[in-house]
Parts: sequence; structure tokens; C-alpha cells
Amino acid sequence: MVKIIVKNISKVFKKGKVIALDNVNITIENGERFGILGPSGAGKTTFMRIIAGLDVPSTGELYFDDKLVASNGKLLVPPEDRKIGMVFQTWALYPNLTAFENIAFPLTNMKMSKEEIRKRVEEVAKILDIHHVLNHLPRELSGGQQQRVALARALVKDPSLLLLDEPFSNLDARMRDSARALVKEVQSRLGVTLLIVSHDPADIFAIADRVGVLVKGKLVQVGKPEEVYDNPVSIQVASLIGEINELEGKVTNEGVVIGSFRFPVSISNDKVLIGIRPEDVKLSKDVIRDDAWTLVGKGRVKVIGYQGGLFRITITPLNSDDEIFTYSDHPIHSGEEVLVYVKKDKIKVFEKN
Amino acid sequence: MRPVIKASLHYLALAIISVIWLIPVYAMLINGFKSNFEVLSTPVLVPPTKITFEAYASVLLSLAKPLINSLIIVIPTSFISAFLGAMGAYFFYTLSYSFSRASSAISDVLFSLISLATFIPQEATLLPLTRLMVSMGFLDTYIGIIFALLIFYIPTGALLMSMFITVIPRSLIEAAKMDGTGDLKIFMKIVFPLSMPGFISTLIFIIIQTWNNFFIPLVLVTTPGMKPTSIAVLSYSGAYGTLYNDTFAAGMLASIIPLAIFVFLGRYFIRGLMALGGGGKGV
Amino acid sequence: MKKGTIILVVPTAVFSAILLYLVIWNAVISFMNWSLLNSKPTFVGLETYATVVRTFQFTNSLLHSIELSVSLVIIGNILGILIAALLYFLNSNKARSIFLSIVIYPLAISMAVNGLIWLWLFNIHIGVDWLLVRIGLPQIPWLSSTSTMFPSLILVTVWAYTGIAALFYLAGFMNIDKTIVEAARLDGTSAFKILYKILIPNSLNSFIIATALLFLFSFRIFDLPYVLSGGTTNIFLQTSELYMYYLFTVEYFSQATAVATIITLVATIIIIPYALTVIRRWIRR
Repeated sequence: MVKIIVKNISKVFKKGKVIALDNVNITIENGERFGILGPSGAGKTTFMRIIAGLDVPSTGELYFDDKLVASNGKLLVPPEDRKIGMVFQTWALYPNLTAFENIAFPLTNMKMSKEEIRKRVEEVAKILDIHHVLNHLPRELSGGQQQRVALARALVKDPSLLLLDEPFSNLDARMRDSARALVKEVQSRLGVTLLIVSHDPADIFAIADRVGVLVKGKLVQVGKPEEVYDNPVSIQVASLIGEINELEGKVTNEGVVIGSFRFPVSISNDKVLIGIRPEDVKLSKDVIRDDAWTLVGKGRVKVIGYQGGLFRITITPLNSDDEIFTYSDHPIHSGEEVLVYVKKDKIKVFEKN
Repeated sequence: MRPVIKASLHYLALAIISVIWLIPVYAMLINGFKSNFEVLSTPVLVPPTKITFEAYASVLLSLAKPLINSLIIVIPTSFISAFLGAMGAYFFYTLSYSFSRASSAISDVLFSLISLATFIPQEATLLPLTRLMVSMGFLDTYIGIIFALLIFYIPTGALLMSMFITVIPRSLIEAAKMDGTGDLKIFMKIVFPLSMPGFISTLIFIIIQTWNNFFIPLVLVTTPGMKPTSIAVLSYSGAYGTLYNDTFAAGMLASIIPLAIFVFLGRYFIRGLMALGGGGKGV
Repeated sequence: MKKGTIILVVPTAVFSAILLYLVIWNAVISFMNWSLLNSKPTFVGLETYATVVRTFQFTNSLLHSIELSVSLVIIGNILGILIAALLYFLNSNKARSIFLSIVIYPLAISMAVNGLIWLWLFNIHIGVDWLLVRIGLPQIPWLSSTSTMFPSLILVTVWAYTGIAALFYLAGFMNIDKTIVEAARLDGTSAFKILYKILIPNSLNSFIIATALLFLFSFRIFDLPYVLSGGTTNIFLQTSELYMYYLFTVEYFSQATAVATIITLVATIIIIPYALTVIRRWIRR
């Protein structure tokens, strides 16, 4: 239960040639669940490591509540004194110790009796449903179990801050949902401040109250996940947090034109980037009389695929090579002409730079 | 060229090399079983016409004390060097995490020193070493020889373990730090157990080196009763290199232990080195 | 830095410091004139060095040391590559392991013992010459002739240390992506061509390690020439190390330490840059 204040933090490597973090400012509130989203190499892991104390900011200050823990290249409070529980991407379980010993390890560094340690470990193990495998070595456990052992080890010492570094990437897709639910439940039970770093928007939507998007070391947008989803500040942010169609079009009196498509948008530049998410696109053979959907023009089906129980249909405007795609529960064959509708208020417009 | 011919040439080349390389140990082996007269009169490379154990019998008794001396010296030296060296190696590992400029400087200096200790000719420190040993009253003592060997082999252990310790994933150590563990505990509970193969390799290397170490005992031992096997073998050669069957038997007995270790455990050391030199598969 | 962390390095640091102390003390004595004739030594600056460097034995032994090292480096590398190649193209891991052990085992035996055995093998009547004569090859005088003495030493050194070079080259070869070699094999490339176009060009690391180690081992070799010479006075086999020991035995202490310091300096100049760059890089990955 701690408030994290990141003030003007920058991090450079290789004597300034590589800028990993560029003037990042953010406050993570007490008990908040905060997500950091970004492509790989954007600086997410560096950010997390600085918060953990495994690295220091080159410039800038880091506060835990009102205590300065690191500033300008100096580590003032080392990781072992920051009361942080961390789950590493590779889980980093001690291979030579049993699950029990792994979880107990942080407690053995505090002055606790053997009895107390056993009690705590079993308590946490029960919450995470790994009580029955405590005597096994990590290599004898499944991926999901190992992950829960790692989580237990992070939680057992009652930390003020829980750090999760891409915690679900080594799990099968099926396991991820239950893992996410587990994390959320545990956090609300304990009320600990949570920071999760991921490139997968599903993690963010499942767990985070707020998300910060890191691109090339800069925090380009911060807000509730739904807000960032609906109102991304750039096409890049839009594509990081969900799927989006990206079209470059010319501005005319009648809106933005891309081939036979006309998007009803008025803007003063002459070149613009249109973004529209697949769920905001609808295809139809006949005219749709529904105010929610606005006709954009005629298109031709280029190719159809199949994903997640739905048909993924790619369409092009009649006289252009630009593509947009959407999902549908029935197939439409390639070469056929269709009417393309979009949700007018979901059209996103970005400057072309 | 037909594959069969190629393969035969391949094996032939290897066979020739093997034979040449094995000649000395072959000579050492067979001549120990010859009578003294035979050793002096028949060619070295010819097997004995009659196997006799007289050389081994006469040598075994007189080499017993040196063998025991060697054991008393080598075992503590190698274990201590490998273990304390491993601790030093982990220290270097922790320095590579630290963010201060001072630690890189310390790391460089210390690392240079241990490299120096490993590769420098021990003989070059002859004079000061003897004086130091004399002033500490260590001449002709087990402690003295062990101490002198430790001067060179603890750093050697540190250098070798520095290389082997790199197989441990950094995230494990970071996790332990996050768990509030002090470095000494990290070493004892995590780093040391996980670097066991490297530790054994280092141990093997140091055992063989100290067992065969000739110079330090040469300089520090004056009483015949304290001589380890590495120097004791020399007493079996006559004035200016005349050799007897005793020489071969003594040589064999002196070499049996390191050779056995090499044959049975050497592959761990080789594997360890090859894994570092890159790609430990296939040996 | 915490106490628990510092404890880790104390033994290593202490013993390294003692070593440094010995090296420095060596240098200090070398700036004096301590010898049998001068039992109360005084500071004489570089005079001792001047005296020693001018002796025939100094240059002779230094030349020998250099000659030995250069020979071992050249022959060791070439033979090492050839042996590594022979081992690389074997199909059985077991065979590879066995043959590799055969070339490395000399290091498991004490160099003094090796010296004794070779002394006997070099006997012109009943040593290896007996076999050579039987096959019809000429009898080589080995240690009995001043012109073949030193080459005999080189021979034994090569026999003892080539295995290390072979080991590191083999490790390097095995580290090369197998699919490249397999592709070449499928194209019908001969083993020689594979060696020379793929394996060797990718062995820079092995070359550096092998060369440095071969140089260092040969430079500091003592037991072997000592035993082959039967002492320290054989000029033809005397290396710098032996010369230093000789000076010690005749109690010209300052001169001995002067030679010792020179040897240490040469070794240091090679070791330190090598350690700080190559080994460090290896470790840092």
C-alpha cells in the first residue's frame, strides 16, 4: 500500500546513444492497479526495473510515498528494503528449492519463527490453490503452478507494491484468463498497489484501473483502458491497445476520400490518417436502415480468413489497394461487392506526420 | 575418394597421433615392470620379457610417506581454493550490478590480480616467497606449503569460477535480492548449489595442478620426510639422469591419482570448458 | 557496501594482495646489490639490471624462452587445428571424447615425471632411436648433441601442451552453427574445404585463447627444462626461468630477482590486457 511518484525520470544506455526512458512523469496511487503497455523495446522493462531498484534512473527522482528512493544515478534505497514483491517474466524460481522453500525464502530473511513461516506459506498457498504441490521442485510443476508459486513468493511477505513483468506470457492461452482473474482477486483482497507491465492489451483490460502507454521511452498517454481504447492519442497507441484499420486518405469537401470510400469527417489538413476498429465496421449486401451505421461506400472482398470462431474479411475500396478488415459470423466470398458501413462516432482521425 | 577409404584414412591419422601421444605413458607403464637389468639393457619401447614387481615393491615403501604428504597438502588446498575462490567469483558478479564508478575500478584491479596470480610463473616469486615463509616459520611444514599454494590457487579458483558462474540466470539473483537476501546468503543457498558442476571442474583442475606442483615444494621443503610425490620422484633418478626401473615405477605411482581423476572425472572439466568456449555438446 | 558482501571477497583479496606484495618485494630487491659477495645489500638503482642484462646467459636464456614460446604457439596452433578437425569430423561422441583425452592427458602428469620419461626416451641407444633405426630412419642425437637439445625440449613441450589448443579449437568448431556445415556437406564439399572455408575463419576466439594460453604456459615452464637439463647449468636448454633459479642457487639474489621481475613484467604485459578484454567479454556475454 504505497504511492509511487515518478518525477522526470530518464534512462540512457551506452553513454547516451540509447534512450530507454525519456522524461517520464506519473503518480501511481495507493492501492491502484496500474498497467504499462507498449511494444517490446519501448522501455517497459527498464521502467519496472527502476521501480524495483534493480536499476537506477539516469536523471529524475523516484519516491515511495514521501521517501526518495532513487535519484540521478544513485540508488538510495536498495531493492531488498523497498517492500516489493515481484513476479519475473521467467518466474525466476529457485530450481534447487521446493515450492515451499521458494515461497518461504523471503520470510527466512526476516526474523520469523519456523512455525510462523509455515503458517504464512500455507495460508498463501491455499489462496492460490497450490497447497498440494508444496513439496515439489519447480521443474516438477506445470507452467500454471510455477506461476502461482512465483506469485505466492511475491505475496507472502505482505509487500506494499506488487510488480508483474509480463507474467502471463509463458502460459498457454487457456490458462491466461484464469491467471488474470486470480491476480485481480488476490490484489483486491490484499489491497496492495499493483504495477503490471505487458505488451498484451488483454492483460491491461482484465486487471488495470489505469494504463500508461510507453512508446520509445515516452509516456504518450495515460488513462482508463476504455478511454485509451476509444480515444487514442495516436494511431500507434490505437494499435497497441487493440486491433485497428489504418487508412491514409485525402481531405475533400465531402470528407476523407480513400478510393470509393468516403468517411464523413471534416478536418483542415489535406492529408490525414483514418483509424477504425474492426468491430466498428459492418458489411452488407443490402442497404442497412440503422442510424447507428453510416455508409462509407462500396468495396470488394479481397480475401477471407477464419479466426476465433469468426470470419475475418478483408475488403478494398473499388479502385484502390488500401485494405480494411472486419469480423463477421458468416462468410462472404472474395471478389464480391459489398456495402461498407461504419459507426460514425468511432472514426478516429490522426494527423499524418 | 571413396568414403570407406576416407574413413580409414581418418582413423589412421587419429591412430598415429594416439600412438605417438601415448608412447610416454606406455613406456612408463611397461618399464616399471622390468627388472633393473632389463631396463638398462633393453629398449624402452619393448615390453618386459618377464614381469617383475621388484621395482614397485622397493618404491612403494619409500613413496608411502610422500604420497601421504601429497594427500595432506592437496586436499585442503584444492577444496579451500575452489570454495573461497567461488565466493570471490560471486563478489565479482555482484560488482557487475553496482552502479558506482568505484566498483568498476575495484573490479578491474582485483580481476587483473587474480588473472596475474593464475598465469604468472610461480617461480618468479621465489625469493620473496622463501623469505616470507621463513619469517612466518612455515618452512618444512604442511601449513607452510598449503599457505604458499593458496597464494596462487585461491585467485585461480576465483578466475575459473568467475567463468562458470555465468551460467546462473541473473533473474534468480535479482529475485533473491527482491526477497531481501544478503549476498552471503545468496551465495550459500543459491549461487553455490547451482554452480556445482563448475565447482567440481575447478576442483579437478586445482587438484591436478597442486598434486603435480613441483616448484613450491622444491623451494619450501628441505627435510626428506616432508617431500610430496612431485619432488620425491626425482630421488629415483641417479646422478645426472641415470634411470632405473624404480624411476618408472615411482613415476607411475606418483601419477596414478591425477591420471585416474583425469580419466574418470576429466570429462566434467572438459565439458565445463567447452560449454564456456561455446557449445558443450558432443563430448 | 554491506558486510555480508565484503566477506565474500576477503580471502581472494587477501591472497591476491600477498601475491602483489611478493611481486613488489621482488622488484625492490632487484634494485639492490644483494649477493654472496654482498651480504649487506644497498640500493643501487638499475645497476644490477645493467649487469645482468649484459651477461651472455641472460640473452641466451631469454632467446631460448622466446624461441620456445614462439615455436609452441605456431606448432601448437597448427597441430591443434588439425587435431581438432580430425576430432570434429568424427561421428561418435565417445570416440571424440577418448581421442581428446589422449591428447590432453600429458597435463595430468607432473612435468617433472614427464621430463624423466622423456629423458629415457631420448636415450640414443635404447630410447626412441632404437625404433627409428629399426624402421630405417636415421638416429637422432636428441639430448646428446648441442644442436638438437633445444628442439628436443620443444618437442616435449608440444607433446604436452598441444592438447589445450586442440580443446579450444574443438570447442570453437562445435559452436559453429551445424546447419552451415551440413549444407556444405550436402553440396559435396570436402572436409578440407569445410575446415578452411568455414571452421577456421570462425575460430578467431579459439585462436586468441589458444595462443595466449600456449604462450603463457611455455613462458613459465620450469620443471621440464630443469629435469631435462639435470639441473640449471645446461646453457643449451636454459630458459629465463632456469637462469633465474641458477642465479638464486649461486646466491646472486639481486640478479635473480632482476631476472624474475623482467619475466613478471613480460607475463603481465600479456596477461592484463588479455584478462581485461577477452575474459571479461566472455563473462559479460
